[in-house]
Amino acid sequence: MKAKQDFPAINEREQIGLKAPGEPYRVLIVDDSMFVTKQISQILSSEGFEVVGTAADGGEGVEKYKELFPNVDLVTMDITMPTMDGVTALEKIIEFDKNACVVMISALGKQDLVKKSLIMGAKNYIVKPLDRKKVLERIVMSLSA
Amino acid sequence: MRVEYINPFVESAYSVIQEVLNVEVKRGELYLKSSSIPVLGVAAIVGLAGDVEGRVLFDMTRESALKVANDMLKSMDMDQIDSLNDMGRATITELANMITGQAVTKLHNLGFKFDLTPPAIFTGDNMEVSDPGVEALIVPMEIPQGKIEINVAIRERT
Ligand SMILES: [Mg+2]
Repeated sequence: MKAKQDFPAINEREQIGLKAPGEPYRVLIVDDSMFVTKQISQILSSEGFEVVGTAADGGEGVEKYKELFPNVDLVTMDITMPTMDGVTALEKIIEFDKNACVVMISALGKQDLVKKSLIMGAKNYIVKPLDRKKVLERIVMSLSA
Repeated sequence: MRVEYINPFVESAYSVIQEVLNVEVKRGELYLKSSSIPVLGVAAIVGLAGDVEGRVLFDMTRESALKVANDMLKSMDMDQIDSLNDMGRATITELANMITGQAVTKLHNLGFKFDLTPPAIFTGDNMEVSDPGVEALIVPMEIPQGKIEINVAIRERT
């Protein structure tokens, strides 16, 4: 019988943050709370994702997306933020890149807001408080959608 | 102020605090306060706007705020802090944001349409929270980290 560490390649491929061996999904995190930014960043990094940018409001998020494009695979987008909210930012990102993979992450779970975001092109909607399992599941679903 | 407004805040505070801090929450008696100014030392504030206007304050001592922040950080394996620095403030304001967001969602399902503004935080040194001139309902909550007073002031738009 062989121990698990005899199969490093298999273990590596189990990291869901990699689209191919050695090639991580690149993530932009938009949230006005540095606590949440760090929380999401830690959850994703531990699974091999690469956080390539962060932004503290919607406007900054749109700018960063345009700067990073096409070297960005996923955006996590908060909604309640100063200056520009996340739904407006979602709209602008989709306007710029209709294939953008944006996942909303908000404390608000109002049905009409969820619906509106999905209609506008968000791939998924995660309601805070966050836990590791919930975040990873929804993000994997969004990336394979 | 309509009593229907208050319950969603109580329920959300319960469930969010329990989920995030993994502690038991004890609720004290509700009371009315004519002036709605925070008193304990650290106050996270979330504004409400839409069919109603108002705000929710999460009022706690500096010591409790620091304990709450550290426990939230610890739950994510993040570094502990020894004063309410930027990360500490971001942690407390996010707790306020999550509780208020969940309450606003519940109220929305009951037919009350309003939204919340990004949270802000005040400490003893800059405790200038403007009073919306409406009675505030206070929900005292006791958790192992200390006391949190949830201070809700809402009025219908005229
Ligand atoms: Mg926010």
